[in-house]
Amino acid sequence: MKYSYIKPRSKTIFTKDVLLLLAFFSVTMVMLFGTYAFLLFRDYRFTQDMLDINEQKSELRASILKMSNEIATIEKQVLLSEKVFTKNSVLKESISNLFDLVPSRITLSEAKIMENGLVLYGITPNKDVYNFMLQAPLRSIFHRTYSSFYPDKNGWLRFVSTNYIDEEEELSSEN
Amino acid sequence: MISKLLESLYTKVFINIVIENSQTVVYVEVCSKKSVLQNMHKYFDTTTMNSKMYEFIHAYYKESPFCYVSILDKSPLQGAIPTCDVKEMSRYCDINSSEHRCFSKDWAYYTSEYDLEAIKHEYRSAGVDFIFSPFVIMANFFKDKIDNTLSMFVLLEDNYISFSVFDNSKLLYAEYLNMEHHKESDELLMESPLEDDELDGIDLEEIDIDDDSSGFDDFTNIEDLDSGEAIDEFSQEQEIKEIITKEEYSPTDGFNEDYQRFSLIKGALNTFYKDPKYNSKFIESIYIADGVGVTNDLKNYLEEEMFLSVYVRKIDLAVALCDMAKAEI
Repeated sequence: MKYSYIKPRSKTIFTKDVLLLLAFFSVTMVMLFGTYAFLLFRDYRFTQDMLDINEQKSELRASILKMSNEIATIEKQVLLSEKVFTKNSVLKESISNLFDLVPSRITLSEAKIMENGLVLYGITPNKDVYNFMLQAPLRSIFHRTYSSFYPDKNGWLRFVSTNYIDEEEELSSEN
Repeated sequence: MISKLLESLYTKVFINIVIENSQTVVYVEVCSKKSVLQNMHKYFDTTTMNSKMYEFIHAYYKESPFCYVSILDKSPLQGAIPTCDVKEMSRYCDINSSEHRCFSKDWAYYTSEYDLEAIKHEYRSAGVDFIFSPFVIMANFFKDKIDNTLSMFVLLEDNYISFSVFDNSKLLYAEYLNMEHHKESDELLMESPLEDDELDGIDLEEIDIDDDSSGFDDFTNIEDLDSGEAIDEFSQEQEIKEIITKEEYSPTDGFNEDYQRFSLIKGALNTFYKDPKYNSKFIESIYIADGVGVTNDLKNYLEEEMFLSVYVRKIDLAVALCDMAKAEI
């Protein structure tokens, strides 16, 4: 029915008091949700950082392990190099001693150094020079010494001296 | 949809204002969705909005945002007309300065635009949501009778009478009668009976433009007395004299008012019978919505002098106004 001469004023539940209350609650809710969202974001970032740090930690652990292995290898290599260096020094000294052993009257043409032996090729004026001046010191060093001669064109003798160190005897002597 | 849902959570407050002769009745009804939670009548010894009334209304206004203020229109320039066609309305009232509404497309009721604005201005502090015509209230009150009878229907207010004639829901005649206005004019008649002749003398219906003679000469002219118009005027004059004599012997104000109401109803019925604008029919019964508490004298006058079947129903105008407001929303 529309029998009134005038239309009623529009009615709304949103009066001034209600609007004020709604505004207050809206601001409060916005602040609460804002804080909640901020905390969620911070939590997410914290989790992400934690995962990143764990990943970095595991990478670093792997890296440390790798480096430890490398250090061990290098240490082994150092030991080996020292050993080689020592061996070389010994060898050098041996060679130097060897050449010191060779008298001036004997000329070496070739020398083969082996692990357990030494083969010398050279020229000697005679067997006695060889036997007294070279073979005697060689025999003091090596366990077994074999010499063979054959004459050269100028009347001198070419010789081949084969000398061996027996490891078993050396070990027993060391013991 | 949401606003409707929220609206159902609130109570509705209906504030209904009925202005009487020297006081204002404010009827408040607080309703929930289906039931009435609180209702009360409050009487203020003023006919305008004062601070006490404002405070009373404002206290209820704060109870709910859905508060509706309804006022019963008391404009003396209101009425009802038996047509809803704007072209035909001009025959009955000045539609340019009136606000009108159609009732079921059969008839219309109208009031003065100026008076509507005056009501809005008067109650601007409280605000007005509905202004109802007493004819609408009467039509709703006698809905069961209006639809199937040919009768007079009268709504009695403190100072006004809404008079209407319906023939099976078709309005034949309606008039809004101001008792105060008629009383004043009657008093004038009582105080200076010599002026009756003068008043009759300037009646336009009796003036004959072609006739050179004065108005007093008309009484001496036997030919004029033979005409129907002169007889009608004579009978009206007789009625007025009857009213004056009866009022002179009235022992109480209640008696006066009842007789005044009777005379107004009688006058309105005469107009209905005589005015060619209206399709007059013989009326045998009258239904009265009593909003003031009339004595049995009025019923006796109507039954004995006009030979009408009288039916009186009590009406609480403020409650009826509230029911109208409820139906509007």
